[in-house]
Amino acid sequence: MKDFLARCLIFAILFIPWGVTEIAASEEPQMPVLEEKQVAALVLKGATLYTVTDGIVPNGILVVQDGKIVTVGPSSEVTVPDDAVVRDVSGKVILPGLVDTHSHLGVYPHPRVPANADGNETTGPVQSVVRALDAIYPSDPGIRMAQAGGITTANIMPGSGNAVGGQTAYVKLRGRTIEDMLIHKDGIQGGMKMANGENPKRAYASRKQTPATRMAVAALQRQLFIRAQNHQKKWDAYAEKKEEGEKAKPPDPDIALDPVIEILQGKRTVHFHTHRADDIMTAIRLAEEFQFPLVLQHVSEGYKVADEIARRNIPCSVIVLDAPGGKPEAIEMTLRNAAVLEKAGVKVAFHTDDPITDSRFFLRMAALAIRAGMSEAAALRALTIHAAEMLDLQDRIGSLEVGKDADLVVLSGPPFSVYSHVLETYIEGEKVFDRSRPSDIRYATGGFAVADRYPARQKTQ
Amino acid sequence: MKKIVRKQQSAVHHWGRIGALRIHSFSVVSLFLLGFSCPLAWAQQLAISATTLHTVSSSGRIQDGVVLIENGKITQIGSAADITVPDGYERLTSDTITPGFIDAHSVVGLAGWYNVLADQDQDETTAPNHAELRAIDGFNPSEPLLAYLLQHGVTVIQAGPGRSNPIGGQAGIFKTHGSTVEAMTIRFPSAMIFTLGEVPKRTYGERKQTPMTRMGTAALIRQALLGAQSYAKQWQDYVSSADEASAQEASANDTSEDKDHKAPDRDLKKEALAAVVRGELPALFTVHREDDILTALRIAKEFNLTLLLDATTEGYLVVPEIQQAGVPVIVHPSMQRISSLETSNTSLENAAILADAGIRIALQSGFESYVPKTRIVLFEAAIAMVNGLGFERALRAITLDAAQILGIDARVGSLEAGKDADLVLFDGDPFEYTSHIQTVILNGQVVYQRPLASP
Repeated sequence: MKDFLARCLIFAILFIPWGVTEIAASEEPQMPVLEEKQVAALVLKGATLYTVTDGIVPNGILVVQDGKIVTVGPSSEVTVPDDAVVRDVSGKVILPGLVDTHSHLGVYPHPRVPANADGNETTGPVQSVVRALDAIYPSDPGIRMAQAGGITTANIMPGSGNAVGGQTAYVKLRGRTIEDMLIHKDGIQGGMKMANGENPKRAYASRKQTPATRMAVAALQRQLFIRAQNHQKKWDAYAEKKEEGEKAKPPDPDIALDPVIEILQGKRTVHFHTHRADDIMTAIRLAEEFQFPLVLQHVSEGYKVADEIARRNIPCSVIVLDAPGGKPEAIEMTLRNAAVLEKAGVKVAFHTDDPITDSRFFLRMAALAIRAGMSEAAALRALTIHAAEMLDLQDRIGSLEVGKDADLVVLSGPPFSVYSHVLETYIEGEKVFDRSRPSDIRYATGGFAVADRYPARQKTQ
Repeated sequence: MKKIVRKQQSAVHHWGRIGALRIHSFSVVSLFLLGFSCPLAWAQQLAISATTLHTVSSSGRIQDGVVLIENGKITQIGSAADITVPDGYERLTSDTITPGFIDAHSVVGLAGWYNVLADQDQDETTAPNHAELRAIDGFNPSEPLLAYLLQHGVTVIQAGPGRSNPIGGQAGIFKTHGSTVEAMTIRFPSAMIFTLGEVPKRTYGERKQTPMTRMGTAALIRQALLGAQSYAKQWQDYVSSADEASAQEASANDTSEDKDHKAPDRDLKKEALAAVVRGELPALFTVHREDDILTALRIAKEFNLTLLLDATTEGYLVVPEIQQAGVPVIVHPSMQRISSLETSNTSLENAAILADAGIRIALQSGFESYVPKTRIVLFEAAIAMVNGLGFERALRAITLDAAQILGIDARVGSLEAGKDADLVLFDGDPFEYTSHIQTVILNGQVVYQRPLASP
């Protein structure tokens, strides 16, 4: 029966006079395929839709089929048959799933004991060889907490203890294995973490090893790119010989340099942890020398060099913290950083840096930036489409658009209000968090590990 | 006249202090400076009207209210219709006013924002019992984080030694604005800081010193309190025998040289703990895990301590025990970082569950070891509010209830005639993320004003 209803619904959707009419007209023969898969459509009706790329739709309707958004628009303009199973979400708010451009979920899982800490391979300052994907623990309760915060996609990175921290992983926050989580795109599954400033000096200076200064951090990073260029030359020579029909032996594979070559080819993005204004400029200097795709991460003193960043169109993923301090390079942090960068014309995203901030409070971070002068529209883009662009995933995620992944957050109220709760989170059409489920609510409030010892409360919201 | 001159001096002093911070353009602190470049009210007499006045007193919420302030104190508060503002009062208006916020346990002032040895004076990790240490000897009035707290409406903090030692030392209660610790002190000492759980045993266990277990920590504290009891008794015996002797002297009018009631040797550690075992100085126990909470209750019962439970992360698991002990709880920051085993079960609802059971609660910023270097109780209360605590109780937790727990409610914690004029002026709901603090008034002075400049 359910399948029958779903099919009726799908049929109806294919003929709705809005948005997808063209597809509907040209793809009518799709029906048998849908029958085969027997995937029920998800219809969310009545909510305020923050599409991000096409304004705010009050009393909207959103239809999900096969993990993708197939319809988004005003309820009045979308016809759903009377017998369709439609979820009424009137009065609620729907956002695209939030995108966290810098997280350590799974590499620093709960509970937080040294045995679980896999973020920093501080046995050598250049670790382009290590991959976050080899340390991500899919059962980390932190992942479920992030779902409770509305985050659906994350860039999971090694830490900042090394000049070159390792390969990052772009993941959907669902699944039992890292393979379920990874987002594959053109053979690349992430970026490269680099760091400058205090953190990469910390581990080695105390051992009287390099890098002990900012100069050495930059030198190590430059040296790595030179090595990769040299390695590339061997490949080029090999290719040349082969082309000329000569006998040639391919260079030995180098798993530390191959990902760096991908960077030089523009296929892999460097996510550069940097705080102080001079460190920001150092990262930019390197990017200009080696012409690599750069996303500045943290950018705490970005407000001091906003024009320099804007002039070069370098995207910035900023963190907003409740208070400054904790280390010298963070004392001049200000809640206004994102606002200043926005005004200068910089593309801004946010990140949790979980566990530095808790993924459950990601929306709150944007609200603090708004408190300090950022526009709501820019803050929303920062949590979604801008973040997606920084991971080069804007064709799949980051907005409520037909054809994109159905990664959704249902909120009880306005996105940046303290009174709003995340009610439901969907990844590719599958509900991964539901605040009304007893099994999920404790990931929102905390206390999941005490199970049924948690005291019963009258209200959960 | 004399008083006015003094106020001007303090203003000048404040400028000098900020100038000395050596900060770059546009920093957080320069925003603070910007605030100061606006005209400041140093008036002796202020009349502030607001659309909504949260008095946190029996007057409740007053719509269209007025507060009159004179010489640093609130002199009158009520409906605008009932109050005539006398001539000569400087006037301010606001959308919403609350009392200044109280952070019931912090290390700010002892812990600085650089987080380097040079500015960290909260943890004397050289011995597990440092009862003799006094917060006033390490409290830096110029610490920029104090100014940051002030900008976020925090006008009072209880600050003390950190959490590394089972017995940390003596905390004090301070205003967040002033040029010397003496000028800022509301009460010193306010509590003896004790810590159970992971941190002390990690500090000493790594050195193969005691305590390296929870048993060791409890034993060490009990041993110290036992020593303090006998010390207290020695002194009591001395004082009473001295009293007896002087009474005899008085009656016999005997001025002979028989004054041989030798005072016991003073011992700073035992002296400080004697006040704790006499119940005069509250014992603040920072605890997270449920069994540590119960250990604190057990020790408090054994030695008849005036107990303040602090942090109390798993408090929601031992509600009946806390209820029965009748002790208040200074609850951890709602958003405290879950960075250890003992904080694994942190619940955003803890404050609400404890308050539902009738336990009096306050909130604290606690201790932050990395970025951010402090938390803001206003933000923590907002999260507790939307996780079951509700508006009124959340506001009380960082105002009147905190003041009552700390025993300073005669001076601060609510907007009532006779209390210190510590007020926070908002442009909307104090807990809404996007509301702004427009002005902070401490002891009747405008100490922060929101900069007008946009980004």
